[in-house]
Amino acid sequence: MSIAHTQPLTMTPPEMLRDVHFDGEMEKKISALLRRYPTKQAALLPVLWLCQERWGWLPASVLQAVAKRLELSPAFVEGVTTFYTMYNTQPTGKYLVQVCTTLSCQLCGASGLTAHLKERLGIDSGETTPDGRFTLLGVQCLGACGEGPVVQINNDYYTNVTVEMLDQILDELPE
Amino acid sequence: MVSVTIDGHEIQVPEGTNVLEAAKKAGITIPHYCYHPALSVVGQCRVCMVEIDGAPKLATACSTQVRDGMNISTNSERATEARQAVLEFLLANHPLDCPVCDQAGECYLQDYAFDFGLDTTHMVEEKRTYPERERRMLGPHVIQNQNRCIHCTRCIRFTREISETHDLTMKARGNHQYIDTFNGEPYDNPWSACAADVCPVGALTVKEFRFRARVWRLEETRSICPGCSIGCNIMIGHRNGVVYRFMPRENAEINGWWMCDHGRFLAEDLNARDIDRPLIRSGGQLAPATWSDALEELARIIGAGTDARVIASANLSNEALYLAKKLFAEKLGLKMLVPVETGPGRSIKNAHKEWIRSEDPHPNATGARLIGLNVGDASRLQDFLITSSGPVVILDAGAHPLLASQDIIQAIKNQPIVAMANAHTPMTRAADLVFPVASWLEAEGTYTSSTGRVQLAERGAHPSDEAKAAWDILTLMARALGADPGPVTRPQQIFEELAAEVPAFAGMTYRRLSNEPGVPVLEEVAHVG
Amino acid sequence: MEPILLRAEHETNSKALTTSLKLGGYSALKKALIMNPEDIREEVKKSGLRGRGGAGFPTGVKWGFVPQDLPKPKYLICNADESEPGTFKDRKLIHTDPHMLIEGIIISSYAINAHTAYIYIRGEFYEEVQILEQAIAEAYKKHYLGKNILKTGYDLDVYVHRGAGAYICGEETALMESIEGKRGQPRLKPPFPAVVGLFGCPTVINNVETLACVPHIIERGADWFASIGRPRNTGPKLFCVSGHVNRPGVYELPLSVTYREIIEKHCGGVRDGKKLKGFIPGGSSAPVLPASAIDIKADFDSVAEAGSMFGSGALIVLDETTDMVWLLENLLTFYTHESCGQCTPCREGGNWALEIVRRIRRGYGRPEDLETLERISQFASRGMTLCPLGDAFCGPITGVLTHFRGEFEQAIAKAKPLPKKKLPALPVRSGRGTFGM
Ligand SMILES: Cc1cc2nc3c(=O)[nH]c(=O)nc-3n(C[C@H](O)[C@H](O)[C@H](O)COP(=O)(O)O)c2cc1C
Ligand code: SF4
Ligand code: SF4
Ligand code: FES
Ligand code: FES
Repeated sequence: MSIAHTQPLTMTPPEMLRDVHFDGEMEKKISALLRRYPTKQAALLPVLWLCQERWGWLPASVLQAVAKRLELSPAFVEGVTTFYTMYNTQPTGKYLVQVCTTLSCQLCGASGLTAHLKERLGIDSGETTPDGRFTLLGVQCLGACGEGPVVQINNDYYTNVTVEMLDQILDELPE
Repeated sequence: MVSVTIDGHEIQVPEGTNVLEAAKKAGITIPHYCYHPALSVVGQCRVCMVEIDGAPKLATACSTQVRDGMNISTNSERATEARQAVLEFLLANHPLDCPVCDQAGECYLQDYAFDFGLDTTHMVEEKRTYPERERRMLGPHVIQNQNRCIHCTRCIRFTREISETHDLTMKARGNHQYIDTFNGEPYDNPWSACAADVCPVGALTVKEFRFRARVWRLEETRSICPGCSIGCNIMIGHRNGVVYRFMPRENAEINGWWMCDHGRFLAEDLNARDIDRPLIRSGGQLAPATWSDALEELARIIGAGTDARVIASANLSNEALYLAKKLFAEKLGLKMLVPVETGPGRSIKNAHKEWIRSEDPHPNATGARLIGLNVGDASRLQDFLITSSGPVVILDAGAHPLLASQDIIQAIKNQPIVAMANAHTPMTRAADLVFPVASWLEAEGTYTSSTGRVQLAERGAHPSDEAKAAWDILTLMARALGADPGPVTRPQQIFEELAAEVPAFAGMTYRRLSNEPGVPVLEEVAHVG
Repeated sequence: MEPILLRAEHETNSKALTTSLKLGGYSALKKALIMNPEDIREEVKKSGLRGRGGAGFPTGVKWGFVPQDLPKPKYLICNADESEPGTFKDRKLIHTDPHMLIEGIIISSYAINAHTAYIYIRGEFYEEVQILEQAIAEAYKKHYLGKNILKTGYDLDVYVHRGAGAYICGEETALMESIEGKRGQPRLKPPFPAVVGLFGCPTVINNVETLACVPHIIERGADWFASIGRPRNTGPKLFCVSGHVNRPGVYELPLSVTYREIIEKHCGGVRDGKKLKGFIPGGSSAPVLPASAIDIKADFDSVAEAGSMFGSGALIVLDETTDMVWLLENLLTFYTHESCGQCTPCREGGNWALEIVRRIRRGYGRPEDLETLERISQFASRGMTLCPLGDAFCGPITGVLTHFRGEFEQAIAKAKPLPKKKLPALPVRSGRGTFGM
């Protein structure tokens, strides 16, 4: 039975993001978000999410466009973006493999998973495989400690993960 | 008013005052880093801990407002220990490179660690460093050494709340956060160096001042910025007659705690002196001369009956302008014009968070108008110069850019030219007689700001070599030309006379001016200009 | 005890509105909307419900702080940031019965006269965002949300606001900053959120589980709720059990059961037949307790008496093999990674403590280290910092040094002297957004 259920991320290459515009569809979504809050600024986090979903990552040009749209200073937007660990200001691999490194998961053997991944992928935490397929990241508690060890790949949680499961998942993930 | 007791001193302070300011009033310093009177209160650095009677926890003095009857201790054992601990935390990762740090001598970390800290540290760990941000130009004037940063966010708040340029931000978070601009672009705004002023440590320093002098060796003189009519209050840092820097000096009504980069970096210009004795043209060349020869030459050039014209300057003090008017225009009957120009707009925010803007680049055009001088723009200056063939007396070779234009110089080159200057300009090179005038640091005088405040710039050094203050030269010139100036010995005396004569200045004295943040000229008179 | 909060746990398609309705969902709403808001607040106060997010503050009392006469909008925030390590009950609730939460949000908003509510959910909970969005859409369709709810004239909009990776945004004021589009840095207090909260307006913020209790209080009465547990510690509680137990998971039990009952009866005891060494009773910031404390009651007051904190009710079980020096390093790594960085004691002190513990673990401990750790925990907690994250990293330090000091002393006794050359600095731990720096 297949257990992997994650779709790959697509990273828009930097040269295609030199000049960022919001097309009609993005604009529509942004306007809808703006209606939720009494200030434009409050839409910052959701708009950043929208952009990251659209382009895969958040280079300076995107931050600039967001700042302009929400009438904020670009420095402010970058300050906010880098405060939160889930906004990627650098491109990642197609699969962002995040292993929980916090206590409960570690008590259940998560460190073995990290070691295994490092060896299998030949990269360290924070690095991306040369083929751009995987980025490995040790992260803090994912809020599913009762099902540790927990691994999050892109948006999806994998729980009670063992080395064997992990191998199977990595093998099954689509191109 | 509420009444509070701080370390046993009972004082009265207005409601809404924070404990830190109240203590200051009682003469007690509570150490603080993130608090700055001009900026929003964030209570982040946690060094200003005090103990308040009846409160279970210590409180931060900056973010606690006084309540009537509050009993505050800044030196109880608990408060002292807490502060020591916070200082130790701050020093844990601080590079302690004071011997090579430009901030040394005016570093709050150094001072507070000395006054309030422990004499040992328990830290043996490797310190946090930011390898790419140890020494880099954050912008044209500001150098960053992030290793020294104590994350007080004053610089960020400066760009958000004061300059409103919003160009600095904190990036990342926690122990690894750092100060940066958007995408690492240059930090460049008209007040950029103020971020270094508010930085309590050596994390942001000013390039132009870097490694040039140790601050404790500098003499400081209270002055006014010569850069424009706003008249920001400054402190000139100098030593042995050499000017090292301008620093903003607090003045709630004019410049708050700030000054613009344009004004700040005029400091270097004060050292650019190349006229240090009188010069007389002989055989086609300007040659050094004695003062008595020079004054004799003046009398020869402006003999009786010549149609001499005097170009005064909106850069001169009220005292010099008053004397010029009294002696040259009134006693000698010479025609006189104060040329003014429109400069690039400058602006500064005062302590009430109001912008003061000005396009008048002269420190004293307002004074010239109030004294009743004839003030005119470039075209009037041109007319004034070319409609006569008599001698021209230029009281400040830098009074107007037109005075450096070759067209004008060509047009009047056959007329005798007398100029006052401390550095050569095309005009002084064409002149027949040059008087060496004291620099901004070397003469005392008052200036009237664009908002009508009369402010005193003090003297920090004697005029170098043979140079003399403008008021002094004007007195000598008048005497040489046969107009008796009376016994003029000090600018203060001229000012007393001015205050008695010119209604706008009524009631002002040097004493008042040095104690008050500039005395406003009378409202109704101010509008006449 | 009959399941209350988890009544839908074993239903198929438990997330659907139809399932919720079948189990009695939204019947409390109908009752509440014809009550006076003040009476709802009174009822909740009477129930003794204490906040399930960590601080255990009486919910009805908190609601009473909202100045009703202030002519400003009022907001309700549901705190679904669930980021204290060991805690995973809110996720469970959202997966099991999202409509129970939404019903709780509507009733609570009505009780404080709010017309907008935000659910702040941690960024990692992507699936849970979809579940909530789906449930909210269903509720709008049924006129449980929107304008003129169930024709009572009451309006309410509920929005999900997704965080983006920052534990500190679970702290109520950091959370508000985060909704406002800023860095998640806790605010100075006072003013308190009930008066000056989100967008400068009066705001009530409650945990997911707290809000999920509200419909039951309305439906079955404050007295019924107060009869569960014991005085001052009333109601059902979702206990999250993780670590070295045979059956980790979320258990719904009355407050004040003993830890022995939770561990031995419900979780099948310590894993692999090992002996219990200790347990962390309230999320990872609660000081660890030794095995001998197993018979204390699992509630706010008993755990506080035992020198720890009941917090979010997250129980982390540690067996005899657990290395306490390692444990402290692990938790300090978490808290320093999550410090927002504003306050000196938290930013500098936390990291310093971590470096000391790492050094001890690498075999270079020094006798004075424990004193330094104690000094750090003394001066980074109890009001020395802006928010309780300072206390949160000091909790683990005091816990291990109180109950397992011997392990540290042993490590130090065996230590090598510090090398002349300083130990190499540890690599910068970076968040995702900031690779390399
Ligand atoms: C560092 C820190 C993290 C917190 N994280 C959470 C959290 O993830 N979820 C939560 O509900 N409350 C959290 N809290 C508690 C909230 O600040 C707040 O007290 C709570 O949401 C109030 O809701 P309650 O009264 O219903 O418990 C945290 C507090 C602190 C100091
Ligand atoms: S650079 Fe200076 S002013 Fe800015 S945060 Fe650091 S220490 Fe404070
Ligand atoms: S205690 Fe830590 S997390 Fe809380 S405000 Fe201060 S620095 Fe931020
Ligand atoms: S410790 Fe891994 S999910 Fe909480
Ligand atoms: S000066 Fe008060 S906390 Fe920084």
